[in-house]
Amino acid sequence: MKTTFISTNSISASTRQSMARVQQQLADALKEMDTSRYADVGKTLGYRAGHSISLRQEHARLTTMIETNAMVSSRMQSTQSTLQNLVDTGKDFVAQLLGSRGGGPNALSIQTEAKSRLEGFINTVNMAFGSGYLFAGVNSDVKPLSDYTATPSSASHQAVADAFFTQFGITQDDPAAANISAADMQTFLDTTFSALFEDPAWSSDWSSASSQNMRSRISSSELIETSTNANESAFRKLAKAYTMVADLGVSNLSQPTYEKLIDQALLDINTAIYELGTLQAGLGGAQKRVSDASERMTLQIDIIGKQVKSLEEVDPNEAAARISQLLTQMEVSYSLTSRIMALSILKYL
Amino acid sequence: MSLSSSLNTAISSLATTAEQTSVLSRNVARAGDSTASRKIANLTTIPGAGVRLASVTRVVNVALFNNVLSSTSSAAGHGAIVNALEQLERTIGDTELDASPAALLQKLSNALQQYSSAPDSLAHAQSAVSAARDIANALNRGNDVVQQVRSQADADLGGAVDNLNTLLSRFESVNTQIVKGTRSGSDVTDYLDQRDQLLKEISAEVGIRTVTRGDNDMAIYTDSGVTLFDVAARQITFERSPFLSATASGNAVYADGVPITGTATTMRISSGRIHGLAQVRDDVAVTYQSQLDEIARGLINAFAESDQSPVPLLPDVAGLFTWSGGPALPGNTLTPGLAGSIRISAAVDHDQGGNAMLVRDGGIGGAAYVYNGTGVAGYTERIGQLIDNMSAPQAFDPAAKLSSSATLGNYASTSAAWLEEARRSAGAEADYRETLLTRSTESLNKITGINLDEEMTLMLELERTFQASSKLISTIDSMLESLLAAVR
Repeated sequence: MKTTFISTNSISASTRQSMARVQQQLADALKEMDTSRYADVGKTLGYRAGHSISLRQEHARLTTMIETNAMVSSRMQSTQSTLQNLVDTGKDFVAQLLGSRGGGPNALSIQTEAKSRLEGFINTVNMAFGSGYLFAGVNSDVKPLSDYTATPSSASHQAVADAFFTQFGITQDDPAAANISAADMQTFLDTTFSALFEDPAWSSDWSSASSQNMRSRISSSELIETSTNANESAFRKLAKAYTMVADLGVSNLSQPTYEKLIDQALLDINTAIYELGTLQAGLGGAQKRVSDASERMTLQIDIIGKQVKSLEEVDPNEAAARISQLLTQMEVSYSLTSRIMALSILKYL
Repeated sequence: MSLSSSLNTAISSLATTAEQTSVLSRNVARAGDSTASRKIANLTTIPGAGVRLASVTRVVNVALFNNVLSSTSSAAGHGAIVNALEQLERTIGDTELDASPAALLQKLSNALQQYSSAPDSLAHAQSAVSAARDIANALNRGNDVVQQVRSQADADLGGAVDNLNTLLSRFESVNTQIVKGTRSGSDVTDYLDQRDQLLKEISAEVGIRTVTRGDNDMAIYTDSGVTLFDVAARQITFERSPFLSATASGNAVYADGVPITGTATTMRISSGRIHGLAQVRDDVAVTYQSQLDEIARGLINAFAESDQSPVPLLPDVAGLFTWSGGPALPGNTLTPGLAGSIRISAAVDHDQGGNAMLVRDGGIGGAAYVYNGTGVAGYTERIGQLIDNMSAPQAFDPAAKLSSSATLGNYASTSAAWLEEARRSAGAEADYRETLLTRSTESLNKITGINLDEEMTLMLELERTFQASSKLISTIDSMLESLLAAVR
């Protein structure tokens, strides 16, 4: 006959099992309080874990995009300041040209000055940025402009010398150059000399740059041009003006011819400065687009960060409250166990 | 009535009290054993001859016991699935670690994005290649984990079948004892306890139904109705597979010659560890394997190169990623085991003498596939194309139980979501079954278990009976003595 409905074994088993369960919960709650995230994110979120992973990937994508945008921006910034430098030196040269238009001893000094400016110009255009050259277009691993004053004589230098000799039958430093008339010089400058700075001569003698600009992806949908290249007309005109004054033997020319040449150089430089401005404006527009895109993505990142948090985050205060509740529960369980175990009829027999 | 018959009655009382005490002490001895049921000594009064022990029975509750059996089966089955899912989850890890295939895909896309901002930089090219290597390695590892889980499940199935055969043969000997004992009227309660314990162990391996017949004989059937034990134990057979590759499916478990696992059989069991392990080996792990294979296939296709000749004649070939069947593409349907054989092409791998810059220029598949024909260093079209391919929707095989069209990254995170959801729901289900098992075991134990306090009070009662009977004997003795003295 059965008179009771509880066995000794089940009393101790039930307290033991409830204790084990509470301890497991306590371990999870402690972890949640430490990290402010669910103890087992995947198990808690279930299919929403996929959403969380997607959001994190979107976060990483936007972060990378902003990083590369920063790199693109700094390259454009560097391009801008180089262009500005070309404009400034161009303006200085204009002032010097105006000052030496009188000829005489000034002619020799402006020739020397132009030579060093030509070298400076080529150096500036050949500026490297990171692993590539700023003005090489997509051909970024080669120096855009060849060195005019190199020895042995560079192709560009040789082409100018050849053109001069073919036109006038003398070399540039020949004193007989004084006999060249202003009209002949003008013709030479407009045709043969000018052609040296046009394709195909320009790309074979002077420039290794590509006319195709670097294009950068600045957001998932925007692909824009973010560089300029040494084949732009402004660079050709600058090269032409500096070479004209530096290497056509201006010190030997007669005064009218000399003035003709200086006027032409002034015209070219002024045009180049104007065109450089256009290039700067174009780049400025691209810079604006990059910074706008980055700003937009920063906003998105903030929102995504909040979404991830709302998915995975646990309120640490709530976890702390849970911990203290679990601790109380355990204490009660312990003291109950000991009291139940102390309750035995054996004591009273 | 005579004095001597009173004496006999008192002596019978002493004997039965002793037997009752022995049953009681058996109860006390097993008070801490959760499998023990309380034994009861039943007395019968014989007219004119006092009392004697009629039989020993035990407290039973068939309904609760069947509850325990069925919840043991389902808890064991779900437990096996949860275990396997926990192992598969290693391929994803915590979302914060960014170690899942989805996260690594994004890292590759990020590396390409960075490469496109500096296409002339070898360092960026190599970092893109190493991101590609990471995702290929992660897929290989995932493939290994899945195969390991499947092979382990197969080995465990073998272990479970061996265990089941042993249990059934032990069941047979215990059952024989019970039938014999019941027929001869001896005390079989301890054997019955033993048999119940064996049933619990059997039900952990496979879901069962039991039928009790005359003489306490018992027959066991699986929950699908295949005989496991009827008078004699039936043979459970299973042929282990040495190692399960992605393309191999393991063997079915046979009970009494009938397959009880696999979708092909009509007698498929629906609970127990064997069921859980078969589910893992033939369904859960296979599905996850297909998902990894589809990610690998998507990757190879997204990075495929096409013939760049003015008049393209050659077929598209594998680019940055290739596989055991490369350079041909894996096609448009599920290719089992692809996740295990995907790797980066030797042509771009610096360690194998390759050139990472081919990511930018193309031509991994040969000269006809060069995209950057002029060889300019700032060429970004191909990189841009690759980034676009990665984020463009692709067609996936619906056999992998995910969407049939998605971007690669989405597909990978949906796969992670699928796994986590399976883990969450299986975990919740296993918890529920486990609680159910605890509860029913507890209720069964409450009803059939032994209460020390009760036994102790019963002992007092027996003590009193013994004392009273002894007193009776001594009183009768003195009565007889005074009678004899009177006669003398």
